Amino acid sequence: MAPGAKQHPPVHIDFGDIQGDILRAYGNTYDCTSYAFVHIDCAPEQARAWFSGVVDHVTTANPWPRGEKPLTTLNVALTAPGLRALGVSDDKVGSFSREFREGMSDAARAVLLGDVGPSAPSQWERGLGTGETHVLLTINAQQPVDHKRALGKMKAAMKAAGGVRVIYQEDTEMLPGAREHFGYADGFAQPAVEGATERKVRGGGIPLQDGGWRAFAPGEFILGYPDEDTRVDPQRRLPNMPADPLGRSGTYMVWRKLYQDVALWRRTMRAAAKLYTAGDEDLLSAKVVGRWANGTPLVTHPDAPDDEFHPSSSQANDFRYDDDLDGMRCPLGSHIRRSNPRDALGWGGSLSFRHRMIRRGMPYGAVLPEGVMEDDGVDRGLVFVSFQASISRQFEGVQVQWLNAGNIFGLGNDKDYLLGDPFGKGKMTIQGKPPFLLSPQETFVTTRGGEYLFVPGMTALAALADGTTG
Amino acid sequence: MIAITVFSTIRPLRMQLKLPVVGDVVLPIPGRLFLPILFAVTAARPKLTETLRELSFIHFARWSLIRRLPYNGPPQRKRRFRYAHMYFESNFNGGWEEYIDAFSHILTDGMTAFWGSSFGFPKPLPTAPFKTYIQRNETEASHYYCAYPEATTTMVLRALELDGRLAPLRGRAAQMDPEAFAAAYERLLTDVQGCL
Amino acid sequence: MLRRRDPNVVGQAYGFQAMTPIRPGEEDALRAYLEGLYDDDRPSPLAKLERTHIARWVIITDFVNDRAWGQRRAEHLELPYLVFTSNFDGDLDSYLDELCSKLATEAAEVWGRCVGCPVQAEGAALKAYLKHNQVDCGLFFTPYGDATVPVVKDALAQREQMIAFATDSQGLDPAALQAAFVREFGG
Repeated sequence: MAPGAKQHPPVHIDFGDIQGDILRAYGNTYDCTSYAFVHIDCAPEQARAWFSGVVDHVTTANPWPRGEKPLTTLNVALTAPGLRALGVSDDKVGSFSREFREGMSDAARAVLLGDVGPSAPSQWERGLGTGETHVLLTINAQQPVDHKRALGKMKAAMKAAGGVRVIYQEDTEMLPGAREHFGYADGFAQPAVEGATERKVRGGGIPLQDGGWRAFAPGEFILGYPDEDTRVDPQRRLPNMPADPLGRSGTYMVWRKLYQDVALWRRTMRAAAKLYTAGDEDLLSAKVVGRWANGTPLVTHPDAPDDEFHPSSSQANDFRYDDDLDGMRCPLGSHIRRSNPRDALGWGGSLSFRHRMIRRGMPYGAVLPEGVMEDDGVDRGLVFVSFQASISRQFEGVQVQWLNAGNIFGLGNDKDYLLGDPFGKGKMTIQGKPPFLLSPQETFVTTRGGEYLFVPGMTALAALADGTTG
Repeated sequence: MIAITVFSTIRPLRMQLKLPVVGDVVLPIPGRLFLPILFAVTAARPKLTETLRELSFIHFARWSLIRRLPYNGPPQRKRRFRYAHMYFESNFNGGWEEYIDAFSHILTDGMTAFWGSSFGFPKPLPTAPFKTYIQRNETEASHYYCAYPEATTTMVLRALELDGRLAPLRGRAAQMDPEAFAAAYERLLTDVQGCL
Repeated sequence: MLRRRDPNVVGQAYGFQAMTPIRPGEEDALRAYLEGLYDDDRPSPLAKLERTHIARWVIITDFVNDRAWGQRRAEHLELPYLVFTSNFDGDLDSYLDELCSKLATEAAEVWGRCVGCPVQAEGAALKAYLKHNQVDCGLFFTPYGDATVPVVKDALAQREQMIAFATDSQGLDPAALQAAFVREFGG
């Protein structure tokens, strides 16, 4: 069955009940983002008193009147222990998905996700992956001064309430040109969602066999709405979600702190390029990523980047892999082809269309100046954030089957080269005549912490604050 | 590698089927008569299992239809079962969810043909009720063994392919002059890059 | 036209299945024994049967009854059953001979808990018992039925060898490349 075959009635999305920055991004005006992980160390009633003060300031997905972006925004997510700390019954917590309840750092899960060796949960930042995290507050600010004020207010409210404290905080800042630390334009390829972001459908939707594209059903990202399964269900059943009123308008969130060893990356590319196309480092790294540094896709521009390319243009992601099935232009194992294979897996896209997620990551740490080849000891990398209706199907499906394995792409045990190998083994085949085998795969990226969270809708937040969730 | 074991009970009277052009039909043929024919036809015509081969998820799979079990003495009861029961097992790689999704979306009609006569079988699509059905009917193995647990089906097939392509060069490498060898090796590498 | 064929065979691969009733009161002990065969430091006893690609033991406690879906009468197994399936190379008789001699210790613990199993669960008596309880395949599928276990294992090892060689030999001049290849792969 082609994933495009059937139509269904238009969906009306209640943006006022959904938290902001999920379906539609707040945008690049917000330069600073802080993630504050809160531990609750008091009775549920006392915790709820603090929590209801937080809920009053949460930013929804309602559109802002033109030109009136608030100086700061606030969003809230909870872990499974966090739900319990606010007094949600075990019964209700049990209605959440298994992976959410078990957490990202569960021993068997960590192995599947590739969080082993230096990335193992035992090596993570204090407070992350230990069950101590209860609430995540995400604060966005346009200017550092607003940012400071918002953080001050947050801490003052905690002090006044008592029994709650921040146990881990990550402050992030947009890098020049919206790049990530390896130097690549990032975060602009997002799924197009019906009723929200349909204008990005070309390249952001589901590739149809007739050459067209179709936006995703909103239930792939927001619970309580039809998803891609509902589309083929005559009874139009909705996806499973946590018990009312907790599930509706909510979504699951994955948060990961990924350290990037920029100097090691640069040295490895320089050394390997000596054996590849006359030392062309830019081409070699583009082959690993699947895009040139400015974001130009390799599959449409295999020889040189398009200097006019702009990530925010509506054509930025409008490409497919159907005339590059052997990976001669964009390697089969390149990062963007793995994380979003579009039509590359064949079968009318039916092996890939249920594994998309919305990403809202931010880089953290200062840039390693251009040309520096030795590590300066600074902690830098990416805060990876994704939103999805099912962590197991969407985030874990991509992380385990697509990034951390190679089989579905016909690449044996190869992992995503860009994300590195915790044990410094591994290789990447760069298709060509002859192919180039890129090796060794060093530990370019290390997981330094992470949590599975739930982002409740506004009605659910009010019920959590009132203690009326049951 | 993942083991899946599924038992289902066959309807005594009717057979659900999806036919090309016609669509969903219910035939008044008992599954216990229809399934052996389906098995025989499928086994005889490799074309019918081509999709399974191309999907390259499965190492070994089997379907068997059980209408009675050999008698071994009491306390086993000597009887013919009221219903026929189908045993299915598969040895596959990848994730459980990916495996089921692939079957639902790509082998939709085949799944209906094989399980359409089982009680409780929903259609393969939508996938959520179908997954619930499989989970209900699935039994976990108590012991599982594989001689090459790290290898996926595709890796096995490509390793076998590589062996065939590498053998000729292995045979004559020592006798060639270096330039000719280098050219032949580069051609080989280009040809077998999908196996590496 | 349809040819009559052994439904348990694809290429040279054989798919064997036996279902044996478990003696009353033995299910838990059998399950514990089978699950205890998993051990990081100890290979599965099935590894002793070198012709085995993949095999499993599963305990089936009952049929799945689906009254909600129109199944008018429930049907139950009077005893739990042990299912043994093995996908192996070559013919059944010699495989079972091998199983009944090499797996005698385990067989006594496993089939020894089943109804009708010979007291000495080994040799010809065990073989006859397993054959008696064989369930024929309706359909048996494998995409590489012509490759035996050693062929598969050698091919997989050679693939790793070739990956390492192709990686390490990049940039060598023709003479050095040839010398390295001959050293690695003979010729």
